[in-house]
Amino acid sequence: MATTTATVTINSTDLLTDELSLSTSCTLTNADGNNGLTGTSGLGRKTLASGHAEYVLFDGTDYVADKAHKIYLKNTSTDPTEFFKITINSEEIGRLYSLDWMFMPWSAHDADNDIKIDPSADNMTLEYMLFID
Amino acid sequence: MATTTATLTISSADLTSNPLAITTSSTLYKAGTTIGLEQTTGLSKKVYAAAQTNATLINKDDYADNTHSRVYIRNSGSSSTDFFTIELGSSNIVLGRLYGGDFLFIPYEGEQDVDITSSATNMELEFMVINEG
Repeated sequence: MATTTATVTINSTDLLTDELSLSTSCTLTNADGNNGLTGTSGLGRKTLASGHAEYVLFDGTDYVADKAHKIYLKNTSTDPTEFFKITINSEEIGRLYSLDWMFMPWSAHDADNDIKIDPSADNMTLEYMLFID
Repeated sequence: MATTTATLTISSADLTSNPLAITTSSTLYKAGTTIGLEQTTGLSKKVYAAAQTNATLINKDDYADNTHSRVYIRNSGSSSTDFFTIELGSSNIVLGRLYGGDFLFIPYEGEQDVDITSSATNMELEFMVINEG
């Protein structure tokens, strides 16, 4: 088994009067217990030239349902107005604007739970990585 | 305006033959701008003595639509088998599972509730919304 760790740190000295300094780590394990995830898509990039609304980035039918997959996504655009809309099963999760990233579990709960991306402009690039249970 | 940064690090020496070391950081801005987010729930903690089904964790009515907020949720329990299922919207689209120690950090546009279902009794989680409006 592999050992992969993810750490998130959220900091701010002026969001509140009390300094925000949150940091937590987890080891990416499978749904059955303590074994580390062993599969991955690798770190990839996808550039959508045009006309790619609702592009299927991860197809739910390609992965085992109700598992502990993890997804990392990042909008590499440096234009603050450009965003990727991220959806799951046609439900919008949210938008990734310039240099925003997200990290979330994905259970591929059923075949309809595709992860789709919809760029707001042509020639935008998304960085992605899937850790597979 | 406030300056809040979120940093993600993902590392593994043995997931693939090439060591993995991703580090990415973003400043939390309002939609399409370089104006920092100024509101937050603060870091909150919930303890669920009873098992929950489709319980609302983040209520869309508390947030403005089509905004660019961020949501952090962490299963703060230590069980590797107990998990929270994270769901979006009135149809409870399943996003994924957070096992003990697992976290997510996602964009949130304020148009759908974020619900949770717990797999056992006596489970706990932490969450924080850093919001635009």
